[in-house]
Amino acid sequence: MKIRFKITGDLLEAIRTDLMRPHAFAHERIGFISAGLSSAGKDLIALARAYRAVSDEDYLNDPSVGAMMGREAIRKALEWSLQAGHAMFHVHTHGGKGIPGFSSLDLRENRKFVPDFFKVSPRFPHGALVLSDTAACGQIWLGRTKDPVAIDDCTVVGASFKTWGRK
Amino acid sequence: MKRLDRQSFLGPDSEKTLQGLTIGIVGLGGGGAQYAQQAAHIGIGGYMLVDFDRIDLTNTNRLVGGTLLDVLRRRHKTAIAARTIRSLNPSARIVEIRKSWHDAVEALKRCDVILGAVDSFREREQLERFARRNLIPYIDVGMDVHETQDGHLVSGQVILSSPGHPCLRCYGLITDENLAGEARKYGAAGGRPQVVWPNAVLASSAIGMLMQTVTPWHRRSVAFAYLVYDGNKGTVMPSPRAAALANRPCPHHPADETGDPLFDIRGHLAVPSPTPRAWPRWLGWIAMLFGR
Repeated sequence: MKIRFKITGDLLEAIRTDLMRPHAFAHERIGFISAGLSSAGKDLIALARAYRAVSDEDYLNDPSVGAMMGREAIRKALEWSLQAGHAMFHVHTHGGKGIPGFSSLDLRENRKFVPDFFKVSPRFPHGALVLSDTAACGQIWLGRTKDPVAIDDCTVVGASFKTWGRK
Repeated sequence: MKRLDRQSFLGPDSEKTLQGLTIGIVGLGGGGAQYAQQAAHIGIGGYMLVDFDRIDLTNTNRLVGGTLLDVLRRRHKTAIAARTIRSLNPSARIVEIRKSWHDAVEALKRCDVILGAVDSFREREQLERFARRNLIPYIDVGMDVHETQDGHLVSGQVILSSPGHPCLRCYGLITDENLAGEARKYGAAGGRPQVVWPNAVLASSAIGMLMQTVTPWHRRSVAFAYLVYDGNKGTVMPSPRAAALANRPCPHHPADETGDPLFDIRGHLAVPSPTPRAWPRWLGWIAMLFGR
C-alpha cells in the first residue's frame, strides 16, 4: 500500500506563512491540517482541505522544546475532526531546505496524541507532517492501535507542481 | 547527445520530473491523440489512456497516429495512442482503459494531471468535479464550428482548472442552460464537425499549460487559465473572464469536498489482498530438483 498526501500550493503557502509568525514564548508554531481520504486500489490518498493554527494561548511555556501544545489545543482539533468529519494532520516546520525529518521528540509526542483522533473520527487515518521551506514529509496512523507508517510521497498541486518522496 | 537536450531550459531536473509524471488522457480522438503525441515527445513517463471507442474512417481526418490499416483492423483509440507513445518512449508506463472514464476512476485518481478531450458539457462537468475532489489539475479542451452569415466560425477554448481556482462554471463554459440543452448537437455545422488544425492548436496550448505547471520556465506560472481560440482570425487569446476572476475562490467546488464522502479506513483495510496463485505441484517438484 502506498500513501500519498496532496495539498494545493496556495494552502501550503498559507500554512508556511502562518508557521513563521513569532510567538510570545514558543520557538515555533504548530497547527492542524484537515483532509479528506480517497482510495486507489490498495493505495491511499489524503487530500488536504483546510488549516487551523493552534491559538497563541494554547501553547505551554516549555523552554525545553520548540513548541508544546496544551490540552485545549488538542481538544479544539478533536472537536474540529468530530464536527467536520475530517482526517487530521498535525503540522509544524523545521525550516531550511530539502526533505525534512521528524525529530525523536516529534515522534514521541505524535505517538501520544495522534491516535486519540480515532476516538472521534474512526473512519479516517490521522497523522503528522513536518515541513521545510521547500519540501515536506509525514507519518500516518491507519488505526488507533497500529504503529504509524511513513507517507510515501507529498505532492503540491497548483501553479507549480512538486512531489517529494518515493514515487 | 540525449533525446531531450533541446528542452534543457525547462530546468536541470525537468527530465526526471517529466519521466515521473503520470497524466490521464480522457478521450483519444482528435484532441486526445494530439495530447498523447506531444506528451510523448516532451518525455512524460506515465499515461492512463481512457477511451472505449475504436477508430473509424471518419476519424482519420484528425486522429494523429491513426492509419487506414488501423481502421481496417478496427483498432482501439487507446492502442493507437499507446503505439505513438511507445515509438518515442519505449519505457513509458501506459495503462490502456477501454471503458468509459466513469469506470476508470481508480486509475485516474493516480494521475498528476488530467487532460480532457470529451464532447459533452455533462462529461466535462463530471470530469472536472472528479478532478477537484481528488486535487488533480484538469485541462479541458473543446472546439466548435458555428454556421454564420459569412460561412463558418471555427472556435474553441483551453481551460486550466486547478483546485481552489475558477472552474468551468466560474468561466461560464458550463451553465445550467447548456447542460439542459445538451441534447442539441455540439456544434452547428452537421454531425460533430472536427478538423485537425484547431485540435492541434488547442492541444498544443493545453500541453503548454501543463508544462508551465510541472516544469515552469519562467516565474509567472499560473494555476488557472482560460484561452479562447478564434480559428477564423487565427488567434489564441486569454479570456477577459480569467482576469476578472483572479483571486476569487471558486464557490462551486469547496475545499471540504475533497476525498471520497463514504471513505472508511476500516473497510479499506478489511479488503483482503489478492491471494497469490499457488504453483502447480509439479512445478514445485521441478524447482526442488534444481535446488530453488
